[in-house]
Amino acid sequence: MFGRLLIVLGAAALLHAAFSTYEHLSYLKALGRLEESVPNDVTLEALVGLFLGILGASLDAPALKEITWASEMKKRSIDEMDSRLGFANWSNRGSTLLGESYGKGQ
Amino acid sequence: MDLPSALQKLSTFRARNTRASQETFDKGLVVLKGNGLKKLGDESWSFLEQLALAAIDVGRLDIADRCLQLLTDKFPGSPRLDCLHGIRKEVTESPAAVLLYYGKLLQADPVNVALWKRKISVLRRIGRIDEAVAELIELLDTFYTDVEGWLELVDMYCSVHQYISSLQSLSHVLLLAPQNPFHVLRFAETAYTAGDIPLAMKSFLNVIDMADADEDAPAEQVPSGFTIRAWFGIKQCACRLQRERITSPSQTAVPEHVQLFDELATERLKTVYAGRDKSDKEATEVLEWLARV
Repeated sequence: MFGRLLIVLGAAALLHAAFSTYEHLSYLKALGRLEESVPNDVTLEALVGLFLGILGASLDAPALKEITWASEMKKRSIDEMDSRLGFANWSNRGSTLLGESYGKGQ
Repeated sequence: MDLPSALQKLSTFRARNTRASQETFDKGLVVLKGNGLKKLGDESWSFLEQLALAAIDVGRLDIADRCLQLLTDKFPGSPRLDCLHGIRKEVTESPAAVLLYYGKLLQADPVNVALWKRKISVLRRIGRIDEAVAELIELLDTFYTDVEGWLELVDMYCSVHQYISSLQSLSHVLLLAPQNPFHVLRFAETAYTAGDIPLAMKSFLNVIDMADADEDAPAEQVPSGFTIRAWFGIKQCACRLQRERITSPSQTAVPEHVQLFDELATERLKTVYAGRDKSDKEATEVLEWLARV
């Protein structure tokens, strides 16, 4: 939750800095002074936006999972490993015991 | 139960080849009724196959026939569907008729693995196990890397108590899937049943070795999963090696310090069962047995 909030704030700061840069550059173009650079506080705002975004993305990451093969195998069971579905027996005595009524739902 | 969790569980079952037919059927019915087929898109066909098999297994042939009808409308004349129709026939028709059906299809296409496996399965079921073994060996000569086929051969040999042949087939399985501890566990237990206790002990220790391959990280405090079974196996082997003089048919050396293995296995099993609830009858019985033996 906190991570999401930081990502939103970082994105907002970045967008605001971008818009400020655009406004400042059009102001300079109107005045004809194109040699000047973007003011320092806009740069600072962009960097703050970057930092907040990185922090928010790290906090918002999903939980880490185990990577070892052994830990994955510990979660499996013998039935899964030995299921042999290609050879499995799908028939049973139901059709012999229940005759015609076998296989219909209630 | 809602649709997304049911779909996720079903796709896990498909990936892991689980045969939990009642659960698959219940969840599959939810998906079918809840209009899930459109959500699945391309995966809906493998889902329908899975649901058809689960429905046949729990005895709901009406749902199975409905799924098969949907699949046949989409894929007429597909060999994979021929196999499913054969399975459906196995339930209601006589084995002779089913074998005739498979025989006819295999004559047209002799190397269709799925149909061949079904034929072997029917032969085994009706008791013609020597024919089943002969056909399965022919299949494995053609398709050596079929681990499922080798495992079925292992099971067939075990069912007629030919444990040496079973061990030989298991060694092929271990060649093909060396990193799977469950196959090594099966090898160990089959060796114990065949009477080769030192080989069984060595294989059980192999299984424990596979349980924690990372030597830098600390071993887990309480064994879980297949390791509990392996510790039981080590305990049994150690007890027998201490009581009797055992010679190994495969000339495996008897390990030194058998007494230490016995104590280690007892301690590991105690940590598993001592942590359980006092009302757990299984845990109290195991702890009593460990104290006694």
